[in-house]
Amino acid sequence: MRNKFDYILFFLCIAIATFGLVMIYSASSIWAEYKFHDPYKFVKAQALFFVVGILLMLVLSKVDYHLYFKKANVILLICFLLLVFVLIPGIGTVRNGSRSWFGIGSLGIQPSEFAKLGLIIYVSKYLANNKKNMRDIKKGVFPILTVIFAFFGLIMLEPDFGTAMVIVLTLVVMIFISGVQISFFVKIGCLGLIGIVILILVAPYRMARIVSFLNPWTDPLGSGFQIIQSLYAIGPGGLLGQGFMKSRQKHFYLPEPQTDFIFSIISEEFGFLGVLLVTAAFFFLFYRVLKISLHTTDLFSKYLSFGLIFGILIQASLNLMVVVGLIPVTGVTLPFLSYGGSSLLVSMASIGIILNISRQN
Amino acid sequence: MFFNSIHTRMRVVLVVVLGLLFLIIAKVFYIQIFKYKDLNSLATSLWSRELPITADRGEIRDRNGKVLATNITTTSLVVIPNQINNKEEVATKLAEILNVSYEEMYRHISKKTSIERVHPEGRQLSYEIAEKINNLNYDGVYLVKESKRYYPYGNVLSHVIGYVGIDNQGLSGIELNYDDYLTGENGAIKYFSDGKGNRLDLTEIYEEPQNGINVDLTIDIDLQLSIENELDNVMTKYNPEQALIVAMQPKTGEILAMASRPNFNPNNYQTSSTEVINRNLPIWMTYEPGSTFKIITLAASLEEKTVNLFEDHYYDGGSITVEGARIKCWKAGGHGAETFLQVVENSCNPGFVVMGQKLGAKTLLNYIENFGFGKKTGIDLNGEANGILFPLDKMGPVELATTSFGQGISVTPIQQITAVSAAVNGGTLYQPYIVSKMTEPETDSVIKYNQPKEVRKVISEDTSKMVRHALESVVANGSGKNAYIENYRVGGKTGTAQKVNNGTYMVGNYILSFIGFMPADDPQIVVYVAIDNPKGVTQYGGVVSAPIAKNVLKTAIDLYDFPMTKEGMPREYTWLDTKYTKLPNVVGMTLEEAKKELKGYTIHTSGEGEKVIYQSPEGEYYVPEGSIISLMLSN
Repeated sequence: MRNKFDYILFFLCIAIATFGLVMIYSASSIWAEYKFHDPYKFVKAQALFFVVGILLMLVLSKVDYHLYFKKANVILLICFLLLVFVLIPGIGTVRNGSRSWFGIGSLGIQPSEFAKLGLIIYVSKYLANNKKNMRDIKKGVFPILTVIFAFFGLIMLEPDFGTAMVIVLTLVVMIFISGVQISFFVKIGCLGLIGIVILILVAPYRMARIVSFLNPWTDPLGSGFQIIQSLYAIGPGGLLGQGFMKSRQKHFYLPEPQTDFIFSIISEEFGFLGVLLVTAAFFFLFYRVLKISLHTTDLFSKYLSFGLIFGILIQASLNLMVVVGLIPVTGVTLPFLSYGGSSLLVSMASIGIILNISRQN
Repeated sequence: MFFNSIHTRMRVVLVVVLGLLFLIIAKVFYIQIFKYKDLNSLATSLWSRELPITADRGEIRDRNGKVLATNITTTSLVVIPNQINNKEEVATKLAEILNVSYEEMYRHISKKTSIERVHPEGRQLSYEIAEKINNLNYDGVYLVKESKRYYPYGNVLSHVIGYVGIDNQGLSGIELNYDDYLTGENGAIKYFSDGKGNRLDLTEIYEEPQNGINVDLTIDIDLQLSIENELDNVMTKYNPEQALIVAMQPKTGEILAMASRPNFNPNNYQTSSTEVINRNLPIWMTYEPGSTFKIITLAASLEEKTVNLFEDHYYDGGSITVEGARIKCWKAGGHGAETFLQVVENSCNPGFVVMGQKLGAKTLLNYIENFGFGKKTGIDLNGEANGILFPLDKMGPVELATTSFGQGISVTPIQQITAVSAAVNGGTLYQPYIVSKMTEPETDSVIKYNQPKEVRKVISEDTSKMVRHALESVVANGSGKNAYIENYRVGGKTGTAQKVNNGTYMVGNYILSFIGFMPADDPQIVVYVAIDNPKGVTQYGGVVSAPIAKNVLKTAIDLYDFPMTKEGMPREYTWLDTKYTKLPNVVGMTLEEAKKELKGYTIHTSGEGEKVIYQSPEGEYYVPEGSIISLMLSN
């Protein structure tokens, strides 16, 4: 054991999250002042999670990742139970139309975020244990796909389409990494396409939905509202932005600017330059962890570290694509930057686990 | 080996993720760089709110800079619904102050709009009402400056100036025709607002309103006031259906004064019918000109040398027969033997028929058209009419005959005065105009001058001189005597035209007109007067219209300091008139001699001595018989 701590990864993560904290303040202070008479309301809560997150990250960097390998089934079981409990009215609370929270005061825990972690661990273990079977679709792929879709179904019951999407994409890509034939994915893709075509033929309004994100002005007060407000933030940002704290769209134009659409405010205040920096930071994070994955000597840690960082990256990409209008609004937060305790804790925990993997290889 | 396959796929995923990120960056680049302009302007209109400030309309002034149309500052009510907290209370109070129903007011202040103008009840409020609203001190209730058109002279020149609507848009006259110049550009106080309509502490932009351009007219308001006064008198005295007076500077085509009855008050135009407002009679009305048109026949005959005023004679037996149609002279029994100058003086119809016959239809029509009849003069006012002429192929001997003395055709007053101006100004037809220049509102520097516009040379200077002589003679010896002014030279022509209704002449219903000009040797002003169907008066232009023209010309003498002259034609008197005689010059004579010379006058003396060293009035001028003559004596 070389026992070397990856400071670059650690501080990169801290830096992104700190920037997130600052932007949450900038984006939320107006709404917070209006709703709670406390402009620091959101940033205080997030700062608390941030501190807890740093501690968690440091602790997890010391916890031997082999523990997860041993306890993967237990962890998954806990996640499964939490996801079931959250659906029971009285235990789970409804926010923004989804029963996806365990409320603790004004703070909240989203079990689906933790399920993501649990599933990545479980799938890593499964892939490591079944490296021979993965060539065989029936024996290797179908069992794990069944598990994944069971969880997918549970999360969709809340419903939390965004998180479910992120989880499925992450796990499918992990299966792809494990060496399943390309033809299998091609078939799955074709099936999916046919499915989408059938869904559209059955109910043509879905086509209108898809078109509406391409031109949000067809329904400016309905489905197009958020994306139009987002474009009104990004566009006037221009090359260098309006300047820190100078966003106009956060003044009650863009709803809840500190959550899913925080990237709009970043673009507005820091312009194209800010956008480049944020995307570059995420890419560097991915690149850095990928190097760790490539250097690991055991399959489990390889899958685990890759799965964890890909989960973060695919979530970030989906969020950015929504915000700039490349895909329809799905309700995915931007890791490290969006307001949200569970999301931040899970992201930092992921980095903590990766730090331990890095330390042991 | 197995690791290799995993690593390859990992790298593939890395490349895919990189691709996604590039796609995102490209999209942001597109939004922020290519779509920047569109989105920024859309977003700015979303963020910014405007409190409008209306610009002042340009002033309309007369030729001496006297203001005819100006602006007074009023305030208007503007509400920003999102900023009003207690809508019920605000609606109740405002409804009470403005005397509007509560529902109406509530509708205004709860409208889903960023800014609502309370129209029309909240427009152009008086100071008292504005003050009451201001004292309420409600959030979201604003009073903004709005300028309102004001015409200090009221009814005066109303048809020419026109009027504006509630949004200060020109609706008739100069206000309409020069609306683009007069209209300023409204300003605004722009501020940024949040999504709930509250003001943001971001930069506030004050866009100064750009006041409209001033329009200066050729009108002389002092002369205008005198014609308005004359028209008022005519209305009381004769109660005509309509009446109009136009005065023009013949050497440029500038309109000096123009008015008609009925008229309206542009400050309060709603009380007048649109017919009254829209009909600017001097340019809109068309009718048979009658004898004033004979000037055209006269000018054509002189230019073509088909008649010699002094040597050619005509015997008027009271009528003339043209192709079996008998055309009567206005004087029963006729004028007997006349020179053609007397034909003109007497306004003898058969004599003019002969003049027309000597010219021929083609030549006469050519002159009529060259003098500008039959089509619009192009004056810079809206609503001008064409008038109607006989086309050449329809012009038989009868039509030629009636046209010669101004019947069977129809003309507008502006055509008439423009043509006569050309006949007496040396022979050049000018396009009449009423706007002399336009000036910058702040500096008053001139943006555009309207120069006199020569249309064509119609007759020669010599012919014009002869026309002036003939017309001065009409005033001195003929039908225009009532316009004669002692010691000044006035020329003119009367007109009495029977009105036509449904193709037949109306009985006892005339338009009585007179066109006069002075000084007759060098005309500076032409005045045209037309009275439509005056009641209780002899129906001759010379009786009704000539004295009015005389009064206007007398005002012109005062205004323009026309010098007295001894060159004018002496007047022929009838027993009815106060007789004017030429006063002998007695300066240098002894008192005895002077008394002998001044028989019939009352003599006042001052000073001591035997010799007259000064007399007042001066000798050689015309004075009424029996006037007081002051003599200063000395040794």
